[in-house]
Amino acid sequence: MTPVPGPHLTPDDLDAWLTGALASAAQDHLTQCPACRDRAETEREIAALLGALPLMSPTAGFADRVMARGTVPEPFSVGSLLSVRARIFATRRTTALAAGLLVLVVGSMAGSIVWTLGHRETLAAFGGWLVTQAGQAAWLGVRGVASNFIEQPWFAGLKSLAGSPSRLGLASALAMVAYLGGVLAFRRLLALPTQQVARAGV
Amino acid sequence: MADTPEWARLSDQEVVLLARAGRETAYRELIRRYERPIFALLFRMVRDRELAEDLSQETFIKALNAIESYRPEFKFSSWIFKIANNAAIDHLRRRELDTLALDGSPHAETPEAMQATALQIGARQESPLDAVEAKELGGAIEAAIGRLRPEYRSCILLRHVEGRAYEEIAEILDLPLGTVKTYIHRARNELRQTLAHLKE
Repeated sequence: MTPVPGPHLTPDDLDAWLTGALASAAQDHLTQCPACRDRAETEREIAALLGALPLMSPTAGFADRVMARGTVPEPFSVGSLLSVRARIFATRRTTALAAGLLVLVVGSMAGSIVWTLGHRETLAAFGGWLVTQAGQAAWLGVRGVASNFIEQPWFAGLKSLAGSPSRLGLASALAMVAYLGGVLAFRRLLALPTQQVARAGV
Repeated sequence: MADTPEWARLSDQEVVLLARAGRETAYRELIRRYERPIFALLFRMVRDRELAEDLSQETFIKALNAIESYRPEFKFSSWIFKIANNAAIDHLRRRELDTLALDGSPHAETPEAMQATALQIGARQESPLDAVEAKELGGAIEAAIGRLRPEYRSCILLRHVEGRAYEEIAEILDLPLGTVKTYIHRARNELRQTLAHLKE
């Protein structure tokens, strides 16, 4: 009796066999192993039985029943406003609510315009006061930062550096080189790869 | 009509776009495409014609009302099968069915109701002899499917009745691919054991 080559078929092998994609080594085993052949044939019969199950349909008028219960969204158009109008005038309560909202919005806008026209000087004076206050606050902020800066222990060294033009030039050049180096490094980090990365096989 | 698209040429995604634009005929086209597979899946999941029809309606209404949330990069079939399967699983969890409904709904009280709700087998057959044979065989396989665990049932129906790929089934059922394969192998094993007497 010749030995059967290779291991018995796995469930994955049986799936592959059902779809006609069984590997040749497994195929060799299948042709010589009665147990696997029997198993594979049974699987095929079951798959065929399942595939031959009768088609079934819901009762007639199914689509109509679904459409009667579902909501088809209306895209915005003049026509779609008709449904909004229908909702507003659906009951007296919705009509009254909509009318109240309209009066509130239009009344507020009209009141605002009338008050503005009658109080131009007040508005101008308030605007001027606001600008003055903002300017004073900004000036106070600048002065605070400057005095804080001057009181730092390293400020004297910085001041002496500014006193000598050659040292100031050297420090500026070094700062510029460091800045440019930083910009170049940052651009390199943010640059997109120019070559495609190979896709991993699945 | 000049603006009526030829539906057969349009993909599901294109029909969905038209549905989103408010075309009622596009909704009807989606229902036409999927009413039979969805109903068949649900019927075999819950084994009750009336209930399957209710769940099918629920599935389509949910899908149509949430069409804006559908993402076109996924298959529409996966999306709607997922909704249907969730509806079936939710129902089965709420009320575990342990009786086979090949003779009609377990809730049918009269012979007429049982007949009306019974599983119709043999629709594809031609000759009367073939029909009788197929009814016997079909009845056995339907009964065997009914005995499977709901998760196995979903997997095996989607794979061998609906012809879905393993990856799509994993997506529909929110399961890892390996689990789907295992469920299908186990389901086929159980069916093999249950149907063993037919081979003898």
